Amino acid sequence: MSLTSEHRAQCVQQLQHLARRATGVRGVMLALRDGRPFAQVAGDGIDTGKFAAMGSSLLALGSSVLRELSAGALDHLLVEGVEGRLVLVRIPESGGLLILCVLTTVDARLGLVLGQARACAVAIGEVLRIATRS
Amino acid sequence: MSQTYKIAFIGEPGSGKTTCIAALSRIKPLNTDVGCTDELLQLKETTTVALDYGELDLDDGGRLQLYGLPGQARFRFMFDVVRDGLIGVVLLVDATSPTGFDGFSETLTVYAEELRCVPFVVALNKHVGMPAGLPEAVQMRLRESQLPAPILTVDARHRPDMARIAKMLFTLLDYNRFVAIPEEEA
Repeated sequence: MSLTSEHRAQCVQQLQHLARRATGVRGVMLALRDGRPFAQVAGDGIDTGKFAAMGSSLLALGSSVLRELSAGALDHLLVEGVEGRLVLVRIPESGGLLILCVLTTVDARLGLVLGQARACAVAIGEVLRIATRS
Repeated sequence: MSQTYKIAFIGEPGSGKTTCIAALSRIKPLNTDVGCTDELLQLKETTTVALDYGELDLDDGGRLQLYGLPGQARFRFMFDVVRDGLIGVVLLVDATSPTGFDGFSETLTVYAEELRCVPFVVALNKHVGMPAGLPEAVQMRLRESQLPAPILTVDARHRPDMARIAKMLFTLLDYNRFVAIPEEEA
């Protein structure tokens, strides 16, 4: 699948929607699987290049660990810190090409963030699916 | 009791880090390769985005833990993940690639700070048919950066060559103990 600037614009809309709906979101990004930024609604002080690279490393490591432990495919990855949380979700319908990275404050409600991140990933997957078919 | 030693491989994408660890490891290697999405796709289909891991038994009963790091500068932070306990670093160079020297030079720039703190060797990999003058050019670049290091020509997939690299790192480590590690730890 090759991604265009039109895909990027539609993806940014979905990221903005997520950032507006969920409370405590510090930054949202779509990273390519090999660690480059594709689209972002990032907050101040976030190095998007490094954020994308770290997101892809974490997701790849998580997938490898689950594979080694025969625990199936990775659904999402949650990294909890004292002052913040990071949620990584693979975008469906993208052939593993894109990863949704959501950074939140520590007081953000985890269940809501997870649910909204998943919904956002599905919505972006739908955008890509429709774009691929048309 | 046998000793376990930890070595990291760095080098430009395509220099042979993943292949080397896969060929040497006595266990099924862990890899974190994904499909390339940039111009690297013209060179190879997949690239490492976190690390490769394998283990190699030494003849004296010791064991080498082999960590391969991604080649792109954007993944430099992975060095911090494997830094603790490293006895040395192998900087792999694809000696027959037209961009081999440039890749080596960039890797040296990216990891200069780290390479001042740990013994390292430069391994000219896939060296059969390498351009004349490459070892000298590599040596000159090391001198300019004030990062002296041995330069070895190797086939990084071959166990005896890896043992040679390890031996060189142990020698460097022994030497560095005289200058870098407090007496009580030596």
